[in-house]
Amino acid sequence: MENKLMIKLVVGTEALFFVALIFGYVYFAFKPGYDPRVLRLLHTRSTGIFSLFLFSSSFTFWRAAVNFDKGKPSRLKVWLAITIALGCLFLFGQGREYFNLFRENLTISSNLFGTSFFTLTGFHGLHVFIGLIMLSIVLLLAFLGDLDRPGSSVIETVGIYWHFVDVVWFFVFSLVYVLPHFLK
Amino acid sequence: MEPVHLPRPQSELPDLNISNGQGLLQWISTVDHKQIGIMYLLFSVLFLCIGGLAALLFRIQLALPNNAFIGPEMFSQLFTMHGTTMIFFVLTPGILGFSVYFTPLMIGANEMAFPRLNAFSLWIAFFGALLLYFSFFNGGAPDGGWFNYAPLNEKQYASGNGIDYYCIGLLLGGIGTASTAINLIVTILQCRVKTMGLHHLSVFVWMVLVNSFLILAAFPAINAALCMLLLDRQLQAHFFDLSAGGSPLLWQHLFWLFGHPEVYILILPSFGILSEVFQVFSRKPIFGYGLLVGSGIVIALLAFGVWMHHMFAAGLGITINGFFSASSLLIGVATGVKIFSWIATMWGGSLRFTTAMMFACAFLVEFTIGGLSGISFAIVPIDWQLTDTYYVVAHIHYVFIGGSLFGLLAGLFYWFPKMSGRMIRDRNGKIFFWLFVAGFNMTFLVQHALGAMGMSRRVYTYPDVPGYGTLNLISTCGAFIMGISVLYLLYLLIQSKRYGKEAPGDPWDAYTLEWMTPSPPALKNFEALPPVHSERPFRDLKIERQEK
Amino acid sequence: MTHACQILLTIQSVFESATVESEKVNALTFRFIIAGSFIFLLVAGLLVYVSVKFRARLADAEPIQARRNIKAEVAMIGIPFLMVAFFFYLTIKTMEATEPSVYNQKPDIIIIAHQWWWEARYPAKNAVTANEIHIPVQKKILLRLNSADVIHDWWVPSFGPKMDMVPGINNYLWLYIRKPGIYEGTCSEFCGAQHAWMRIRVIAQDTVDFQKWLTAAAMPARQPATAPALSGRAIFMGLTCAGCHAVRGTIARGRAGPDLTHLASRKTLLSGKMENTDENLGKWLSHPQKIKPGAHMPDFILNKDTLTALVTYLHTLQ
Repeated sequence: MENKLMIKLVVGTEALFFVALIFGYVYFAFKPGYDPRVLRLLHTRSTGIFSLFLFSSSFTFWRAAVNFDKGKPSRLKVWLAITIALGCLFLFGQGREYFNLFRENLTISSNLFGTSFFTLTGFHGLHVFIGLIMLSIVLLLAFLGDLDRPGSSVIETVGIYWHFVDVVWFFVFSLVYVLPHFLK
Repeated sequence: MEPVHLPRPQSELPDLNISNGQGLLQWISTVDHKQIGIMYLLFSVLFLCIGGLAALLFRIQLALPNNAFIGPEMFSQLFTMHGTTMIFFVLTPGILGFSVYFTPLMIGANEMAFPRLNAFSLWIAFFGALLLYFSFFNGGAPDGGWFNYAPLNEKQYASGNGIDYYCIGLLLGGIGTASTAINLIVTILQCRVKTMGLHHLSVFVWMVLVNSFLILAAFPAINAALCMLLLDRQLQAHFFDLSAGGSPLLWQHLFWLFGHPEVYILILPSFGILSEVFQVFSRKPIFGYGLLVGSGIVIALLAFGVWMHHMFAAGLGITINGFFSASSLLIGVATGVKIFSWIATMWGGSLRFTTAMMFACAFLVEFTIGGLSGISFAIVPIDWQLTDTYYVVAHIHYVFIGGSLFGLLAGLFYWFPKMSGRMIRDRNGKIFFWLFVAGFNMTFLVQHALGAMGMSRRVYTYPDVPGYGTLNLISTCGAFIMGISVLYLLYLLIQSKRYGKEAPGDPWDAYTLEWMTPSPPALKNFEALPPVHSERPFRDLKIERQEK
Repeated sequence: MTHACQILLTIQSVFESATVESEKVNALTFRFIIAGSFIFLLVAGLLVYVSVKFRARLADAEPIQARRNIKAEVAMIGIPFLMVAFFFYLTIKTMEATEPSVYNQKPDIIIIAHQWWWEARYPAKNAVTANEIHIPVQKKILLRLNSADVIHDWWVPSFGPKMDMVPGINNYLWLYIRKPGIYEGTCSEFCGAQHAWMRIRVIAQDTVDFQKWLTAAAMPARQPATAPALSGRAIFMGLTCAGCHAVRGTIARGRAGPDLTHLASRKTLLSGKMENTDENLGKWLSHPQKIKPGAHMPDFILNKDTLTALVTYLHTLQ
């Protein structure tokens, strides 16, 4: 119980951190120095596909949690490994997007959009990365046999964080990639 | 007595293998909330001396007009470090120290919910503070003031490394503070002795709870601002850089969205301590328990709707100013309720004027002055006149010292016997009290007048205008009296710890569970606990014993 | 030097209203002082009364354990609430009266703050001056406030409201000065090392004097007549001076430092730091960083003749 309440509080305060970053992003979108043409440099489709990997990792994590509660450690390990792989794929996709943007000379220092885009997505990526570290530790514990029987709150605790990272990406992706298409 | 209940952490941490006989290693490696609480307080006292020394240095510079004791660059660094230190590394660890020491004791728990996280929080904040001070050895300390306005904080105007140290130091301190807040919330909500409902929490614990939520909601804003500033300075991002379309006002919004709640973060636990002190030394229950707790919650909520009153002079227009004026005035009402509740607590009581009670009573006067000058800042036209002058300097010191610090000092004299196992001689405590109160008022009362006479804040010197010299000299003398009184306090604490009379478990005939333990409490706080059916469980127990 | 400064300075507190705006603000301030004193005396009085009356005596029984009193609670919420509601009403009224809308209004004077001096531009006549700002009295004046670098703040205590000067943003302030005179003010937002020496000197004049001054200020610089002054001018234009300072009517067009076209007609130097004399000017030119450490004017190595020539030239800029 303590762990779950603790992670909920962590998620709550982290959510406010992202609200501040999103606020900054939106605020800059209305500033005179903002050039909406740079939005065209973004690869909505490929990032959308990589986003699907991240969203589906929430599903695979849910499967892992269900198998843990049922006391099926081997399935737990498989679903956890898939979750980690999907998370890694997402990060790879984000790296690819960054690399493409760098080639187009869009960096954090090139203009207002670059500044707020890389900060917002970068901090999200950092959270995904931290989530992956936690998941890897859980997977390691599973292989060490710590999670053979249900009862531990660790899966649920890590799960709350992982789903949170997903939800944040849903908002960030909608705001940065999807919304501009409707505002043209 | 009803069946014994063992709180949970005991069952979860059966063999920590700690004893009190391991010397320094024991202190460094401890996860015991009482030792961590004491280390927080030592941390606070250490930086109180450092931050106070900085203040004395620049008060010497300001003692005379056109003085040249220290130059403008050093002056900027000193006042920046003074403010930053006092807020983040004196008052914050001060309130956290009492919070982590007494919260578990007051709710009948044997430990915090996460003892290791507790130790982590302390050390990361401490190293954050050390890192901030390391800036002096690496190109100069931050020099943009404690709220460090953009664009003065940008590389273009502050080319040294000071501001970078400021960012990282405060981020680390913020991580420590936020993780302690999480720890405290979980402890209060889930580790209470079973029979203790939320309506049985003492006002102090309530204030710690409200405060911890306030911390979790407020710190993300400054963390975001600090990250943005670091990106601006290190990777040439443009958040606050006007030439690329960035916005200097964004910093002010984010900073004060944190900064104003921060002011309440530093005062709510003091309100809690005072509520304990007033009721115990009046021998009466706190007047209007619901009112006190409720107004604390109202203050916490309103705290997020008042930040722009720091920006009334930024030209944001009458509508915005009006809205933030209204919300700020309402906070005045919520705070006034508390003042009157404490007086009502004393009304009809049997008052014992110990040093702790003296500080609590002095608080009522000093904090009323600070509160009233605060209301004058909610009235926009008066704010236009007096903001950013010495009047606002006087105001924040009446709130931070007359409010927060007086509360902490009341707590120190109230709880010192419990923490150290020794009594402080009341007569000596009162010598400190009068010295400190005299020095404090001498330093800051005149600053109200200086502000009204047109002296703006943060000037490293001033022309020889009639009145300025005299008032500033008085202020500097007062600062030295305060400095001497703090040295006397240190002597008093060390002397009492060594040679003081041994303290009984319950020297004040107090009401809450921490006084049930021996002084100082054993490593494991409680072996057995009575059932709780009011917010004064120890008093109930004592009455029950008497009746038997 | 200190003594000279003292003569030049006249101090005004916020309570000595010199403008209509300040009178309105002070009417509110005085009401607040009365209400605040009432609350303060109430708290202090109650505290003293309680401390004396209810001091513990030997063998006191435990007092009555009263926890609440609805009437007292209603009073302690209600009365302060009514008081702040009243002051909220006054706040809104005073804000509207002192700072009415500036929509579609052209500013009479544009003041631009720099680290660490003030630039004042008069759009009507294209006149520019620095640090000593002339404003006509008995007339509603609109100031536009800007900053060239960091955030500064315009504050003349006897004029009432202060206003931040935020880079990239136009802020406005209304002024109706009652009487001619010299009014002192200062930058009120920390703006870096020399924040202390960013003092404002407002010279309020009646319309005739002001127009006379404005016409003179709008003129280009006088041609120097004497040989030393001419050589001083050559040095000024040849060295980097002209890169940062403007002397209208010459090739010097820099805007980073104060406009020097009519430097000699000002009473003070360096935003109130010292009196404008040849001696002080010479001291400043020979080692600016000693006089105003951190200022953006670098230390030049000037020999004695160069210095004298420069001072002589600057002295001619009436």
